Amino acid sequence: MAEHRDIFIVCNTVNELGGLNQWAHDVARLFTARGHRVRLIGVEPAVNVRDFGTDLPYETMTLHAEQLPRRGKVSGLAALGRGIQERKRQQIFEGGVRKLSGILSTGGTGSVVIAAQVWAGEWVAAADTTGMQVIGMSHESYEACRASSRFARVKTFYTGMDMHLSLTDADADAWARAGMSNVGAMPNPLMVTPKTLPTLTEKRIVTLGRLSHEKGIDMLLEAWAQVAPAHPDWSLEIYGAGPNEQALRDQARELGLDDTALFRGKTNDIDSVLASSSVYVLPSRQEGFPIALMEALAYGLPAVSFDCAPGIRELIEDDVSGGLVITAGNVPGFAAALTRLIEDRDLRVRLGAAGRETVQRYTPDSIMDRWEALFTLLDR
Amino acid sequence: MTSSQPRPPDVTVVVIVYNDAGRVATAVRSVLDQSLRSHEVIVVDDHSTDGTPAVVEKLVAEHPDTVRFIRLPANSGHCGAPRNAGVAAARGRFIMFLDSDDTLDVHACRNMVAEAEQTEADMVIGRCVRHDVATGKETSWMPWLVKQKVVYTSLREQPELLYDVLSTNKLYRHDFLVRENLTFLEDRLYEDNLFSASAYIAAKKIAVIPQRIYTWNIERKAANLSITRRAADIRNITDRIIVTKKIDELLAKHDAGDLRLQKDVRFIENDLRVHLARLSQLPEENQRALVEAARPYVQTLQDDAFREAKPLPAMAAYLVRQGDFHGVAAVHDYMVNKPFQPHLTADLVVRDGRVYWSDRHLDDPLGREVLDVTEMGFQDRQLNKLRLGGTVDALQQDGDVVTVAGSFTNPLGRITEESDPKAQLVITDRRSKQRVFRVEAHLAVDEQRIGWHVAFAPEKILRPVGLIDPLYSVRLHVTVGAERADLALFADDDVLDAIRLPTRPRLSRLTADLLQGYRTDSGNLALRLEADGGAAKLGTAAITGVRSTNFGARAWARAAEFQKSLRQRRNTRATKLSWYENVFLKMPVKKGTVVFESHMGKQFSDSPRAIYEEMKRQKIKFSPIWVYAGHPTGFPSDAKLVKRNSWGYLQALAQAEYWIDNQGFPHDLRKRPETTYIQTWHGSAFKRMGFDQADVKRQSEAQQTRLSNAIDRFDFFMVRSAHDERTLTRGMRVGAELLRVGYPRNDALVKGGNDKELAKLRKQLGLTDDRKVVLYAPTFRPEEVNRRSGLQLPFDLSEFTHRFGDDMVLLVRPHYLVSFALPPAYGHSVRNVASVHDVTPLLQISDALITDYSSLMFDYSLLDRPMIFHVPDYDNYVGATRGSYFDLGETAPGPLTRTSEDLIAALADLDANTTTFAEKRRQFVAEFGEYDTGDAAKSVVDRFFGTGNRRG
Repeated sequence: MAEHRDIFIVCNTVNELGGLNQWAHDVARLFTARGHRVRLIGVEPAVNVRDFGTDLPYETMTLHAEQLPRRGKVSGLAALGRGIQERKRQQIFEGGVRKLSGILSTGGTGSVVIAAQVWAGEWVAAADTTGMQVIGMSHESYEACRASSRFARVKTFYTGMDMHLSLTDADADAWARAGMSNVGAMPNPLMVTPKTLPTLTEKRIVTLGRLSHEKGIDMLLEAWAQVAPAHPDWSLEIYGAGPNEQALRDQARELGLDDTALFRGKTNDIDSVLASSSVYVLPSRQEGFPIALMEALAYGLPAVSFDCAPGIRELIEDDVSGGLVITAGNVPGFAAALTRLIEDRDLRVRLGAAGRETVQRYTPDSIMDRWEALFTLLDR
Repeated sequence: MTSSQPRPPDVTVVVIVYNDAGRVATAVRSVLDQSLRSHEVIVVDDHSTDGTPAVVEKLVAEHPDTVRFIRLPANSGHCGAPRNAGVAAARGRFIMFLDSDDTLDVHACRNMVAEAEQTEADMVIGRCVRHDVATGKETSWMPWLVKQKVVYTSLREQPELLYDVLSTNKLYRHDFLVRENLTFLEDRLYEDNLFSASAYIAAKKIAVIPQRIYTWNIERKAANLSITRRAADIRNITDRIIVTKKIDELLAKHDAGDLRLQKDVRFIENDLRVHLARLSQLPEENQRALVEAARPYVQTLQDDAFREAKPLPAMAAYLVRQGDFHGVAAVHDYMVNKPFQPHLTADLVVRDGRVYWSDRHLDDPLGREVLDVTEMGFQDRQLNKLRLGGTVDALQQDGDVVTVAGSFTNPLGRITEESDPKAQLVITDRRSKQRVFRVEAHLAVDEQRIGWHVAFAPEKILRPVGLIDPLYSVRLHVTVGAERADLALFADDDVLDAIRLPTRPRLSRLTADLLQGYRTDSGNLALRLEADGGAAKLGTAAITGVRSTNFGARAWARAAEFQKSLRQRRNTRATKLSWYENVFLKMPVKKGTVVFESHMGKQFSDSPRAIYEEMKRQKIKFSPIWVYAGHPTGFPSDAKLVKRNSWGYLQALAQAEYWIDNQGFPHDLRKRPETTYIQTWHGSAFKRMGFDQADVKRQSEAQQTRLSNAIDRFDFFMVRSAHDERTLTRGMRVGAELLRVGYPRNDALVKGGNDKELAKLRKQLGLTDDRKVVLYAPTFRPEEVNRRSGLQLPFDLSEFTHRFGDDMVLLVRPHYLVSFALPPAYGHSVRNVASVHDVTPLLQISDALITDYSSLMFDYSLLDRPMIFHVPDYDNYVGATRGSYFDLGETAPGPLTRTSEDLIAALADLDANTTTFAEKRRQFVAEFGEYDTGDAAKSVVDRFFGTGNRRG
């Protein structure tokens, strides 16, 4: 049994903006620190490139030099061309698979390949992984996956793998009920250590996230419009950018809110944003195991969140630790919960302190211990 | 020299086998293929007499380090001795059991061991899946016990574990079995039961995981009703009872008497039920012998076990206790599992206003409790929902004419001479349903049972084709007034054998000359083409000869397979949609066709009906098509009827000039631009609707887009007030042109005029005296839809009848997706009006309305009559679940009541209500019904179908 392993993490890309690649670089760094040799592999180049730096302690590589042609719905005459397109795409795909097999063949005994996303999992499932531990991951809740086209692909490509990891036990159980027996859970690691803790006296509510439909900012604005008039001294600040920004700004103005005050754009200084706030809000429609929420809890911020995934319940126990959880989509309920936290500092302190305690389960060390225990189990 | 003792394997899997050479290798391989490599297999052979030892020895030779073979010196006849022998030889730290005809999931050992190590449990339970070998169908065994990962520190935390007595879907710590001295009984069947119960009690920790662990292969055996079966049946039930008694002793010994009730309930719901299944198909003396074998033990069960068990098994057990084997058989007829057809053969009775399963045992207080089936709602169910089943009792041949006779139960005497019941024996080709032969049946009506008989010349009437239609179903179609039922028929063996109907196939008598009765897999009677005479035997022999050649058999099988897959594929939604898109939508629009649908085809009602009737009244020339979901009863006879989602439905929608409905045609059906869609909608909004609703708000972008696309199909949308425009149409993001004319269904509320229909309805509901009529119509609550008990009234019905029975009649109207069972005791002053299609006439004949959040409040207010809002769950419903557009307390034109007492008081005060709330009602109508002026249907018809638009 190898103490130090070759670990190949395969994602759609290696440097796309967003949570998944952040996670990939985080665990790559942590694995490396434990003495493993990590290679971070992307299937295709990123669209919205994020710079993760140059002197990374692990190698990164990309299988395809160009973006793969997308499979679109075609009808009529275009359908005639589809067969040709399909064949061409298949050739490109097979080239990528050969390249991946080549990379994987450099691993020693006890090597592990982790497909971090199901699209990348298609390449992993097709590659030669003889003698390796093969792990597929779903970085979203079971429900979110089931509502998407990924559901069928997870079943197709992950069933034959040694392990299919969800983010929480509740999600793994749901997959088991759906008939997959190779399931387990692996939460994301908590990567921040607060420099300063918020005093919870600043009259500021904050959220960080992409401005897209699944993050539910539209529902947050509706709720805020119900709360703000009674609490003019409080402010809501939304950090992040995304495709719906203009629509959200329009909606805010229609609701009588000042959109320039609300939308703060992207920030690199998460520490000072969290340290100077008193409540964190997560109005998402879909989540897996939300890193941003976990980080806010690490700062001792109480949160209001929709109950959109088991990951939320794992981080927040409603009214006990971490904050308040509201039935997904219940905007008046969200507004009422916000009002409660605004009007009760003791509640903020109590929930925030308890939440901070809870997230210590996800320190890098404990998550790495879980990964290594998993590798050992798969060796038996 | 000996090699050093290797590290013990993690798991030992003990595979037991007896005369199963064909399958044992598959079982062993499912262990060898385990993802957890640290395992060993011990195959224990209970002294097989077939090739089993050779098969196993070959496996041992191939895998000498992992597979061991133990052959018992003599056959023990049970699973206990082999399992004990396996455990005795096991080296693993953990132990699992596997039967030679089953398999383990590839990750079973890894999942179980990982969980045991992590939780330090003595035993781990995983999911067992029953796999029907013939059909490939899989069902989870007791899925509610393995829903999620959980650890119990005692059986008391989850006594229902006692339901799962299999020893095979579990992992045991080896030293736990040793420490607690857990072994299997060796001389009994059901050794699992006692072993599992002992393990549950002894375990300090029990872990559960939801992963599939074990595949239990089920091979259906042909029904065997012979003497040996009888002996086996009795031995089985006797052994079961001996083992169960030992479990009782065990529970007593461990001071776990409190678990005894749980175990008794399990015995009633599972064990006894299994042993007495399909009792009615056994010869009578076998029925009696079985029931008598079980009776002494059943008599020792505590009364509470009968009260707590599910109603049907409880009745069966109670009737065993009473030695009433006819009664037991009738219960089992009704609670059979798939593939058998449940059928009601019991003669239900009404006593003191409650419904009972039989008229026997009602002098025993426990009998009265257990046999009370009022809540099951037979009294309120439509004839075709009662699952009536008929018998065939006798057959007589007189020359060419055959007489067949039988009977079926008369449910609560509902069928009377006056109701003019009619029946037909219908004989249908089981495969294609193309060929149907009908024979009129004569009925003899009796209060308890209906006798039926047919007399016909089979050779003249039954004309199958031959070869391609070998099987025919036989059913009795019964019509009583507007109700219809389609009865499966059941017969004893001797009657079945006697059913031999001469026939002349169209492909000549060389193919067959006889329709022979037989019993289908579902247990009911059907007919099979057979050869009896010389020519037919010769002919069929020739055909069989061809078919039994290699080529013939393959061709035949392939043709059958092809036909089957074609049929299956034909009816998938994807196939239908593809035809809808690519064929039907490309066919020309049929001018003048209007497709009407109300509440997804459940009713002939509401605004679509009002528009339809206005068109009829104005004698517009058009081709109406009405959609029905379940049964066409109650839909207009002068319109074309199509069943929802059928092929005819898709084609009708694709080619219609107009769509008119009140809720929404299936979202995946695109509307072509040439078709005009008039969406009447079905109520103004108190509760939040559409995108204002939490359930919709939370949806993904794709889901919301699908909803938007469905709503964007509307060309016109009917509203009744500015309130609708602020709430409903905004919430649903309706982009259609608004028709500000009010609701066609409400024309009658404003103008009246359908007096004849109302008089008929009053008579139908037995409203013949001058008592006041009060309608109770609550809103939709999703949790009630699939609930067996349906609507539970949130007030005291007996208090109502006691206080107001002489002055009022209460009509109870559940939502159209919800059932309601009304005890006959209240028949004098309460009516269940669930089956009335249209609610508008019900509003009209009511002197007052009790509702909660239903949109009926807006409609009823037009009548300017008293209203009461009974809202015991106001905070939860409005606050947590749905949210509302206004404050009901401020706006409601009537009192809000939260308790049964409040409601009774408000009802006592109806006269004052009329005056007190007069002004509020006026405001309410002004606010919510300003466009409802009684001309809605006319406005729609004038605008879209008026003579100016189309001349006849």
